[in-house]
Amino acid sequence: MIYSFWIQILEHVNYIGAACLFVVGLYTVVTHNNFIKKIIGINIMETSVFLLFVSIGFVHGASPPVLTLGDTGGPFVNPLPSALILTGIVVGVSITVYGLSMVIQIHQLYGTIELDEILDTEESKDDSPHA
Amino acid sequence: MLSLHLPVYALLAPLIAALILPLTTDGDSRQLRYIVGGAALCATALAAVSLKGTLGGDVYTYYFGNWIPGVGIEFVINIFSSFMSLVVVFISTLVIFYAFRNITHDLAQHLIPYYFTLIFLMLFAMVGMIYTNDLFNLYVFMEILSLTSCAIVSIKRKGRNLLASLKYLMQGTIGSVSILMGIAFLYMVSGNLNMSALAELMPDIWQSHSINVLISIGFILTGFGIKAAVFPLHTWLPDAHSSAPTPSSALLSGLVVKIYLFAAMKLLFQVIGVDIMREVGLQLFLVLFAVSGMIMGSVFAIGQTDIKRVLAYSSVAQIGYIALGISLASPAGLNAAFFHVVAHALMKGALFLSAGAMIFTTGKRNVNEFSGMGYRMPFSMTVFTIGAFGMIGIPGFAGFISKWYLGLAVLDGGHPWILLIILLSSLLNAMYYLPIIIKAFLCHECETVPSVMERDGLPATMWVPMAIMAVLIVLLGVFPQLLMNITGQMPHLFL
Repeated sequence: MIYSFWIQILEHVNYIGAACLFVVGLYTVVTHNNFIKKIIGINIMETSVFLLFVSIGFVHGASPPVLTLGDTGGPFVNPLPSALILTGIVVGVSITVYGLSMVIQIHQLYGTIELDEILDTEESKDDSPHA
Repeated sequence: MLSLHLPVYALLAPLIAALILPLTTDGDSRQLRYIVGGAALCATALAAVSLKGTLGGDVYTYYFGNWIPGVGIEFVINIFSSFMSLVVVFISTLVIFYAFRNITHDLAQHLIPYYFTLIFLMLFAMVGMIYTNDLFNLYVFMEILSLTSCAIVSIKRKGRNLLASLKYLMQGTIGSVSILMGIAFLYMVSGNLNMSALAELMPDIWQSHSINVLISIGFILTGFGIKAAVFPLHTWLPDAHSSAPTPSSALLSGLVVKIYLFAAMKLLFQVIGVDIMREVGLQLFLVLFAVSGMIMGSVFAIGQTDIKRVLAYSSVAQIGYIALGISLASPAGLNAAFFHVVAHALMKGALFLSAGAMIFTTGKRNVNEFSGMGYRMPFSMTVFTIGAFGMIGIPGFAGFISKWYLGLAVLDGGHPWILLIILLSSLLNAMYYLPIIIKAFLCHECETVPSVMERDGLPATMWVPMAIMAVLIVLLGVFPQLLMNITGQMPHLFL
């Protein structure tokens, strides 16, 4: 009984990993003040979804979906999720690049990439008469 | 041949324009304006022709690369998608013409072609999101839309824009990752990404894997809630919409948030289905969020002094109205929601464009400095007044009609207490719009009351779009059946 429970866990370790990564990523985005760390958090969240999506397509004991001449067929791994996630990775990269380019500009303007320090300077700007 | 590919041309026109525009380097040249204006008008004409094709209840289905649905991507263009894409393209065209002159106020010369590139990519993504019938394709269009809408905020390159845009990017990405997670949970049990096929499988899936469906509803609603700025998840909206250049604010507030609501509607009604929604008790849950947004958005708006921030918070409240109509899940509610989508796009467009015109000419953003504005810029202030009266719901303007039908739908749905909240929200709207108008026209805080009205001195590309929007607001307020005849055909596609 206990043995089969652990087998269940091991078989679904991808799903558990995806759930953990999602939470870790969300925690990183929400709690950190550093913009780079926030972007890393976003990336972790995206990776968790990619992991889940690719794991869905896996079929136990199946072969890769490559047909050769005279192939008898049989269970194949679903190739569609992997193909979709390739697109997803491209989307993730473009978000990361765009976010990082904005972080560079913010660093040039404020000299820091810590959100709390930037908010302090913004507030002191608001208080000064020549805002 | 033309009729076969027609709806896709409406999608391709903005994409082609977006690809050509970076080649021009001079931001103020006639050439650029001809390309931009021509492409926008072309897209409007194509969207209008595809609306004409679907008016009788016909549906275009388009398979990309002729792959069968389930393997490839399918577009379904029914009266809802063709009409809403026409609204999107038409209002964007007005804003694009307005942007020719206004954007020179905010952007350096060499950035202007890129700005229009971003606008056209955004237009492409919006139309694509309305047309598509494939969940993953929806996700891809959504990411194009969220990246471009962040970019038209950050293109101004001031500190505040960058911070607002980064906040928008972070929260938007959390939203889209949640949506993709929800899609994954649906794909896990159905093996299908096509919305119509999923809808057919849904009753069986609900019997066998109800937990997956519930988790998926949770992720998808949270995601679209963030993207569409439904009340407690709205925190990115005021910053992004108020710091953006004026044409961007008008597009983001008037159109972009609603596209996410449409996508949420597609998933809720066309994939999950009303029966499952009723079984879970989703409606009341959504109604509560919508209603709290209607009140809190207006409450926040009262405390603001920046004119564009007032308008941005007012958007949070207005999204509450649309979400309320949707969450009633009755034909009357959906009809009111669709009417309000169009009415709000026009009203918020008119408000942002006229506020932008005043900022463009006088440089004043603070509502406390608006006294006497009615004498300085009578035309812009009149357009602003028409938009504001619409927002408050004064009879004779489009906003009154949508509130009226929303009220009838609420009574039909058996929630009479919401009527009081609609009334309260209208009064709150009056509380922050009327003082601006009173200050501008009655001028009792001016040092000397001007004896003559000046002319606005706006270029034609700026005042004509504003005038068209103002006229349409009044027209829809007086003859609502012009629009109701079309929106009335839409609810049965969802229920």
